[in-house]
Amino acid sequence: MRDTRRARLVIGVLLAAALILITVDHRAANGTLLAPVRDVASSVFGSVEGATATVTRPITGFFKTISNAPGAERAITALRKENAQLKSDLDAQRLNRDRVMKLDRMLGLAGLGRYRIVPAQVVARRASPGFEDAVEIDIGTGDGVRTDMTVLSGEGLVGRVVHAGPSTSTVVLLTDPALAAGARMEGGNELGVVNGLGEAGGNDNLIKFRMLDSSSPVQVGRRIVSFGSQGSAPYVPGVPIGVIERVDTTPGELTRTAYARPFADFSSIDVVGVVTEAPKRDPRDSVLPPVPKPAVSRQAKAVERPGLLPAPRPVETRQAETRETDRTVEQPAAAAPGANARPLESEPPRSGHEPREETRLAPSPTPERAAPREPGQAGDQRRQDRGA
Amino acid sequence: MFRNLVAALLILAALVLQVGLVNRVSPRIAPDLVLLVVLSLAALRGAAVPGAVIGFCGGLAYDLLPPSDHALGQWALVMCVLGFLAGRAGGQLPLLVVMLCAVIAPGLAAGIGALLGDPGVTWSVLRTAWLWVGLCNLVFAPVVLWAVSALQPKRRARGSEFVTSYRRGTA
Repeated sequence: MRDTRRARLVIGVLLAAALILITVDHRAANGTLLAPVRDVASSVFGSVEGATATVTRPITGFFKTISNAPGAERAITALRKENAQLKSDLDAQRLNRDRVMKLDRMLGLAGLGRYRIVPAQVVARRASPGFEDAVEIDIGTGDGVRTDMTVLSGEGLVGRVVHAGPSTSTVVLLTDPALAAGARMEGGNELGVVNGLGEAGGNDNLIKFRMLDSSSPVQVGRRIVSFGSQGSAPYVPGVPIGVIERVDTTPGELTRTAYARPFADFSSIDVVGVVTEAPKRDPRDSVLPPVPKPAVSRQAKAVERPGLLPAPRPVETRQAETRETDRTVEQPAAAAPGANARPLESEPPRSGHEPREETRLAPSPTPERAAPREPGQAGDQRRQDRGA
Repeated sequence: MFRNLVAALLILAALVLQVGLVNRVSPRIAPDLVLLVVLSLAALRGAAVPGAVIGFCGGLAYDLLPPSDHALGQWALVMCVLGFLAGRAGGQLPLLVVMLCAVIAPGLAAGIGALLGDPGVTWSVLRTAWLWVGLCNLVFAPVVLWAVSALQPKRRARGSEFVTSYRRGTA
């Protein structure tokens, strides 16, 4: 190779520059030193991205349509059925309207959590598998967005703003492994921390929920909401996060780990809202979506009640084991351990057992695909699913 | 000069396509267009230093591209090294070199992330993610290399210029 000394010099300088950049940016808290550089880049690239988003939106929509095509037929029949039922429901509701209006006025005080939201459109997304999962939204400091604001969608928590540029901002998603949020179990005070799993979350973008108190009961099908940070800085309280889908029982560990399916759909994220003003009071559970089937809430209460009884632990672990086994064993066999657990519960046997079947089946038809036992195995199972 | 301008435009197009379209269509496993374009440019240039410079600039732009939550310079380092390698060895077999570098790159980036204490980088995640991203890159590498080499400005012979001026004259 000719010109070796010059080549070595140039490459040495370039590598040193990269290393210095890494060091400076990694050392400085919140990237304060290089913030102007990022600002300039964000305004330049942001405008280009905004322009391309308008062009590429039809293409994205086209791909989404194609990928949804196999399920569309089923969805249509289901929707027809639902439509017919809704029509009859609507007729019934017309009769109840006066009564509902009175009730509504009465319940108005307790209404949904009063967040003030600025709506935004996602213009770009970056997903390096396992390392980062972030989106760019088309509003910035000019619209009142600041760093460390909560971002949510119509379904639930989406993430938080990590960098607010002049006209665009960067949002780290809940599925990013670097993100951690305080969370609280619905209808109780059991606290925990929600972490993204990234690539290990599988197709359903599962997130990890670590309970701080390992003795507190965790059941599949219970919902979690955000606990809220001090001064509501990164996270406002009461935002729905997800439904617990699997519980890991590791004896001897200080924290208890559960895996939850987020309410927000992270595979196609489009319109989000940035919470610019937190509610004056913690909305607690009032923002959670209405329970899909009344049986679920009855079951949640029914299982919670034995938790207050003097000897709740055997019931608790037995249920967890049941769930562990019946993922692999077929349906009828799963009923047997549940029947053993019946005498311990104070409820009549049906309410303790039957709805649990529903909650286990309702969130996903195939729980084994959703459960990332080990991230390595999750990949194998995914491949098996595709083959089947 | 014109060659560098075309390279910069190609990288810019790849950056915008990557975050605006590719990652939005399939957020989990997707080919890395920016990486492939940078490697193709470096390999087609066929010299070590320009390859490293292209890699550094492309990587820095990739780091600065807005939805980012990693330390600035990670991709600049990775692409600088790979651009150097691709430029050094790309003269004879550009496709082979681009494919090799495209498979190495996710692992290299993950290694630097792990050194910086990125919480998402675990061995098991790396195993599945590297495999799938590497495969994706491998599949898309020939396409991108072909596209880049087709868009590369060629030093045309006099004849073509003559034809255009001739056409202009008749029009």
